[in-house]
Amino acid sequence: MRTKIFRTISMLILLAVMFVSLLGCAPAATEAPKPAEPTKAPEQPAQPTKAPEQPAQPTKAPEQPAAKPFEGVELTLASMTDQYVTAFRYLIPIFKEQTGISITLDELGYVDLYQKLTADFVGKTAQYDLMTVDIVWSGEYAKNQYTLPLDDFMARDKDQLQLDDIMPVSWTLGEWEGKHWAYPLAGYANVLNYRKDVLEEAGIKPPATQEELLEAAKKLTKPDGSMYGIALLGAKGPAVAQDYMAWVQQHGGSILDKDGKVAINTPQNVEILKFFGELFKYAPPGATDYWWDQRETAFRDGQVAMMEGWSIARAGYENPEISKIVGKVDITVAPVSEGMEPKYGFGGWGIGINAASDPKKQEAAWEFIKWLTSPEIQKEWIRHDGAPIRRSTLEDPELNKEYPWFPVLLKSFEKGDGDYRPRIPEYSIIQDALGTYVNAYLVGQETAESALEKAQAQVEANMK
Amino acid sequence: MLANLAGIPSLNEIRGFLLMSRRSNLNKSITLSIRRFFIEDGAYLVMLAPLLIFVIVVAIYPLFFSFRISLFEYRLTDPNQTQTFVGFQNYVRAFSDQVVKSSLITTLIYVAGTVSIELLLGLGLALLLGAETQIARVIRSFLLMPMALPPLVVGLVWKALYNADFGVIPYYLKLAGFNVGRGPLAELNLAMPAVILVDVWQWTPLLMVIFLAGLKSLPTEPYEAAIVDGASRWQSFFYITLPLLKPTFLIALLLRTMQSFKVFDTIYATTGGGPGSQTTVLNFHIYTVGMTFFQMGYAAALANILLVVVAILSILYIMVLERQQL
Repeated sequence: MRTKIFRTISMLILLAVMFVSLLGCAPAATEAPKPAEPTKAPEQPAQPTKAPEQPAQPTKAPEQPAAKPFEGVELTLASMTDQYVTAFRYLIPIFKEQTGISITLDELGYVDLYQKLTADFVGKTAQYDLMTVDIVWSGEYAKNQYTLPLDDFMARDKDQLQLDDIMPVSWTLGEWEGKHWAYPLAGYANVLNYRKDVLEEAGIKPPATQEELLEAAKKLTKPDGSMYGIALLGAKGPAVAQDYMAWVQQHGGSILDKDGKVAINTPQNVEILKFFGELFKYAPPGATDYWWDQRETAFRDGQVAMMEGWSIARAGYENPEISKIVGKVDITVAPVSEGMEPKYGFGGWGIGINAASDPKKQEAAWEFIKWLTSPEIQKEWIRHDGAPIRRSTLEDPELNKEYPWFPVLLKSFEKGDGDYRPRIPEYSIIQDALGTYVNAYLVGQETAESALEKAQAQVEANMK
Repeated sequence: MLANLAGIPSLNEIRGFLLMSRRSNLNKSITLSIRRFFIEDGAYLVMLAPLLIFVIVVAIYPLFFSFRISLFEYRLTDPNQTQTFVGFQNYVRAFSDQVVKSSLITTLIYVAGTVSIELLLGLGLALLLGAETQIARVIRSFLLMPMALPPLVVGLVWKALYNADFGVIPYYLKLAGFNVGRGPLAELNLAMPAVILVDVWQWTPLLMVIFLAGLKSLPTEPYEAAIVDGASRWQSFFYITLPLLKPTFLIALLLRTMQSFKVFDTIYATTGGGPGSQTTVLNFHIYTVGMTFFQMGYAAALANILLVVVAILSILYIMVLERQQL
């Protein structure tokens, strides 16, 4: 009798487990918009709702009776799960209130996003109408015409867009050979975060050059493992590839030669790789397995003194819920090699419209982009963990009070280099090769020379 | 997910499999059923039709499709979707590809490691928990839990456990005075054992279940005779249990070898094939070619090579063990 009951119970448990795992396979789209957010929205919209109507009024005036020409249009947005996704969660309900366009947000990790979007584009299934587009995908998307060129829209609505206000470097988020395949959404500057308290205690000035950075990392690393000099990305795959390319940029190297051909295994790049490997000596021992999130954890946890990274993470260090280093962090521009003309790594995301989507949806999607990137909404975008693209946002006195590090961003943006990771159509092949072989060098499987040689060979074999 | 569900045989399947091979001659029973199928029994066909159609749609058609595109140069991201016929060039390219060679060796190490450890542990657990006591039953059902989890989830959990700076395992290893270096997943000589351990943790219970089924269906007479003859427990284990378990071994070995050859999720979630290319198994390389470079033709050719390797291995196992048995 008891065994029978027991058997029934365990069967039920097993069934429940299977059911749950089956549910896990179902598309997550339905649960994406967090139900908690919309309830919060009505409290605050006073500022954002009023604001956007003003720029819209002059042109929209005759249409006023229709008011909401896109009422009822439903869009889907595939977004990278970067910090700015919270801003999407906050702003989308407000946008729906104003225009009647509802947007379903699908939040995806970097690799998943790239693959799902590629599958969607290739199959022309138009599962997503809007998508966040990484700066490095610009060339690929342009070549294959996955996204809609926005130039017609931009020419039509140029009075409403204040295009001059957008930082020149922001346009690299989606521009390719003169056309705009994605609209600037979130600009990131590569900056150096450092612990004020730790550097002060050790009597070290914030490093201004790469050589000083290495020196500082060496001095700040404590032999007992309680403090490491610098946190780096070392995990095989996009992580280590992108971090290495950042260092190539800071040392004045290049992944492409003068003619735009892939030239990874240059003597200069080998030297830079050795420097990069040297830095790992002063990083937490697990750093060769770090993705972005683990690097962030290490820094927020107070284990490391310095970290180069995208500026969008900066605000998070002041959030006591996720950070143990509140009030102890400062940022400065990313140091470049001695004697080099300063240029700062620039990256981030554009927002694109699926070329295969229904024209009416495309029109509605453009409406969203226009609204989102308008100077007024940009303030709310920043306040909810978005990243800036406009000069007016970066120079806004109010925002500067809330985010005292904005001058550093402005400086980085002004001399920003959005092309240090080659935005060419074959980018993913380069990234994969560097991702494998730079990691192999860091763990001692290859020498610096052989690693880059093999990376070059792999790129050539796959590019043809 | 589907592959995963299909990969776990139900108990009934295992029992059926056991019975079939117990009859000692697979070939005979197969030819017999084929004859019955076509000639003697029309109702057979009607009743099997739904399943047959299902198998053709989800297994046989894709197989032929993958063979077809493996003969083409076909890049998925090509806006014109051109497919150029290149004959067997993709296969030729595979044999000169260094990465394929090294990933094939990695796969063999992985398979040898996981399958041998799991066989031993599975047999041990089955013997230990074979008794029909209350405790054994409870432990047995708990041991099945890892199998119910998707390998991807298992991989992510273990990745967190292994993390050198925040993970639980290195934390205790450090307390015990071990030097964990870059952490189990990032050290060249530790990465492979570390991923093998994940696989062992997840799939040993499956082998335990198979061995349990095998042990339960053993006849009792030889043991009684052995006791009468004064055999010790070790002797009856080595000279009766093990030989009688041979068909069970065959099934366990086959199942796990084939599954292990196809490993992807665990590697993808833990090391991503790293450090360097230390844990890049063949299936992971195929994934890179297919889903990062989108070279569908070449990826299909590699997948077919993997299929052939697995098929040859299965045939080999069946032949070896069949011969020993007769």
